[in-house]
Amino acid sequence: MHYINKLAYYLVIILIILSINFFLPRAMPGDPLAYVLGENPDMPIRMTEEEREMKLAEYGLDKPLPEQYVDYMIKLSKGDLGHSIYYKNPVMDEILIRLKWTLLLTGTATVIYMPLGIFLGAESAWARGKKKDTLSLITILTVSSFPSFVLGTLFVIFFAFKLGLFPLGCANTIGATYANPLEEALDILHHLILPVATLIIAHIGGTYLLMRNSMLSVIGADYILSARAKGLSERYILNRHAIRNALLPIVTMAALTIGFMTVGTIFVEKVFAYPGIGLLLYDSVLRRDYPLIQGIFLFISIFVVLANFIADMAYVWLDPRVSDE
Amino acid sequence: MTGVKVNNVLGSLGLGILAILITVAIFAPQIAPYDPHDTYKWMERPSSEHLLGTNDVGNDILSEVIYGTRVSLFIAFTVSITAIIIGTALGLIAGYSSGVLGFLIMRIVDIFLTIPRMVLIIVLAAFLTQSIWNLIVIFIIFGWMMTARIVRSEVLTLRSQYYVDSAKMLGGSDRYIIWRHILPNVVPLVVVQFIMEASHVIIAEAGISFLGLGDPVARSWGTIFNYAFEYPNIILSDAWMWWMLPPGLCIAATVLGLTFVGYALEERLNPKLKTVVGMEA
Amino acid sequence: MILKISKLKTHFSTPDGLVRAVDTIDLSIRERETVGLIGETGCGKTVLGLTITRLLQSSTTVKGTIIYKETNLLKISETEMRRIRGDEIAMILQNPTTSLNPVMRVGEQIAEVIRLHQGLNKKDAAEKAIKMLGSVRIPSPSQRANEYPHEFSGGMKQRVMIAMGLACNPSLIIADEPTKGLDVTIKSQIIKLLKEVTKEKAMLLITHDLSVARALCDRIALMYAGELVECAPAGEIFDAPRHPYTRGFLGSLPRNGLVPIPGMSPSLINLPQGCRFHPRCANAKAICKRKHPGMTEIEDGHFVRCFDA
Ligand SMILES: Nc1ncnc2c1ncn2[C@@H]1O[C@H](COP(=O)(O)OP(=O)(O)O)[C@@H](O)[C@H]1O
Ligand SMILES: [Mg+2]
Repeated sequence: MHYINKLAYYLVIILIILSINFFLPRAMPGDPLAYVLGENPDMPIRMTEEEREMKLAEYGLDKPLPEQYVDYMIKLSKGDLGHSIYYKNPVMDEILIRLKWTLLLTGTATVIYMPLGIFLGAESAWARGKKKDTLSLITILTVSSFPSFVLGTLFVIFFAFKLGLFPLGCANTIGATYANPLEEALDILHHLILPVATLIIAHIGGTYLLMRNSMLSVIGADYILSARAKGLSERYILNRHAIRNALLPIVTMAALTIGFMTVGTIFVEKVFAYPGIGLLLYDSVLRRDYPLIQGIFLFISIFVVLANFIADMAYVWLDPRVSDE
Repeated sequence: MTGVKVNNVLGSLGLGILAILITVAIFAPQIAPYDPHDTYKWMERPSSEHLLGTNDVGNDILSEVIYGTRVSLFIAFTVSITAIIIGTALGLIAGYSSGVLGFLIMRIVDIFLTIPRMVLIIVLAAFLTQSIWNLIVIFIIFGWMMTARIVRSEVLTLRSQYYVDSAKMLGGSDRYIIWRHILPNVVPLVVVQFIMEASHVIIAEAGISFLGLGDPVARSWGTIFNYAFEYPNIILSDAWMWWMLPPGLCIAATVLGLTFVGYALEERLNPKLKTVVGMEA
Repeated sequence: MILKISKLKTHFSTPDGLVRAVDTIDLSIRERETVGLIGETGCGKTVLGLTITRLLQSSTTVKGTIIYKETNLLKISETEMRRIRGDEIAMILQNPTTSLNPVMRVGEQIAEVIRLHQGLNKKDAAEKAIKMLGSVRIPSPSQRANEYPHEFSGGMKQRVMIAMGLACNPSLIIADEPTKGLDVTIKSQIIKLLKEVTKEKAMLLITHDLSVARALCDRIALMYAGELVECAPAGEIFDAPRHPYTRGFLGSLPRNGLVPIPGMSPSLINLPQGCRFHPRCANAKAICKRKHPGMTEIEDGHFVRCFDA
């Protein structure tokens, strides 16, 4: 029952996202045709009335809205997100080319910052009020107040430009030929370190604070006292009793933080000229390549909604109380 | 150091930072040495005339940053005040009328919170003309949900407590009960939420402007940073030190001030209260 | 004598002031004896239990001695204390619903204490846990061991708590309100169970329910505002109560017409001058307002803290 409800809920959300995407160019001020053809909406296109009619018909914009909506859905179901104005290619193809870099970047950052934030938050809460806790709290709050793009830029300046430890940007050395796959992997890793470090440092604060708060409320729980009454060691109680309970709110928020992280990638990719979806979005915004902007919006939103869905399922698995409802 | 002491130190530090920034924003015309739109020799190094040098079109960077304080703080406070009022009103309605209306409001909140709002904000900003008013409206549209959710759950808790019922038995009207009994309890939560939202908007606005979607005339810190970032080979010269660092540090200082104040307040009100500090940019 | 508490004080310093939750208590428990600790909510019963097992936060001020079988529990190291907790002294905490870990299987919550103190391997400990569940009369224990606390009813959770406490065969059990919130039938079942499983053990039974105390206790101590006011064999407490508080407490029993003691118990931060009970006492005299009465033995083994006794 729980699963079906949730599934229905997420399907509705996806439907809403698709509809937002449909109505965006049609409801915004400006000529919808301009959004498809790529003319600046502030400067209307000079066309004869017939030319205009023809173009409108070509893109189906002359039909009544409901019919356009159905057409849009049919196209979407075939994976057709329209054509990029700038690249003259299907939007889907452009996104897929860039996808691997974004996945590499966000994926690497997530598998590091999540466990690290959880670990630091748990340790901090367990040492509540002690020097260790106060120090990590203040450090993390301070570091987290830098937006990722400021942090990333400073990293580029110091670690890449001044110290020459890392490349200035991009995902690999342009035009390089590699003797073997290992060499290529090392090159990619070398390019990956700074952007990943930026993402981790900029995003760890949320998870850390959440875990710390969650852990603080768990520490006061009766079942922790109960565990102490059994003579169990503090370490054992932390690992076996406290963490799993404290993780519950983290899981609900995991999808949210993954959403933040996905968005954070856009800024970091711009700073490091990292050729992922974020950079593509930025470039498309500069070029007002609306079909591509919309495609990326759809792609990221649906990805985040799916992450939410998975987090919900994980919650059910972690908390035996929910599955029985 | 005890927890209470740490809180007080952080809280005062945060308040201090915010007081300075707000003063700068209010008295920008008196403090700034030049009009930020006046042009002088471009790309000057810092000197006694231009303490932070000039930018690529010859604006005095210090004046630009001082006026930028105005723009950034104005957007942040306008958005958060409005969003908080809307959120509180909807939260009160949703918590107090348990019928269809309340259900509807909460579902909208859920949906808004699931869709990654920053991406949608970027897309909307790309469709609209670049002005601070458009940004403000967009941020407000996506800024009220957390408040509504928190206010509603607080109202539900309060409602289950006896005194609202006893007030009702004594013949208080709904409006009177909300005004006299519920609102005073909700206000502290809303203040924390206001601070969280303000820091959120500071970061989000900076991010949007960093993508080149800020108002090119009323330049915020994010926009200044972006212009510097886009200047060819900025990091190869030393110009980043006086052109990029000041707006970057201003953004961080504001967020830090808000975070400290919010944290201290939250700990004082309720040590167990949970909020996610969302770092979207 | 398995436990001898003397001059025990437990004070918390809070922003509002010093909370004197346990204020100079002397109490001892003999082998195989069940002592009831009775008092209104908030008088410090749980704090006393947690003080004995040293489960309070380290910032708490604890003074006096707690001699358990010749060791002063307040003098030994935390490591040594951990060896005693759950093994020799088991505390069955109040409120089973929140005292069981919601995300851990019930069997495992019992097995872990067995593994810890008896060094059994995972499999043997799990089997022993099932046996423990059976011994507290939980039907189909091998299946129930794999379930989570929320799948148990209130009475069943209480049984699990008891099984957890008994798992390592402790010599002293501190049971905190084991019948609270249970309906009458379940309550009498739990009483019967406790009677049976603690026949050979010493127990400190914390409760504010006199019927439970009557059914289980050999001796009863009444606690008021952080101190003991009367302590005597159970029969004497019920048949010849000497302290006005005890009489009031007995009077508030349903069969005695539910006459509550007038007034409220005092705040442990601002204790009244003189006898702590005098503001609520019907026969308070001038001296009661000025002087704090000491505990006097008025009959063999019957102690009362009252000028009038
Ligand atoms: N950790 C603590 N810090 C401060 N006060 C406490 C603490 N634990 C208990 N108290 C106070 O001590 C008093 C006795 O509490 P308790 O022993 O739980 O009462 P009860 O007799 O109902 O079990 C109460 O007033 C309670 O507020
Ligand atoms: Mg108690």
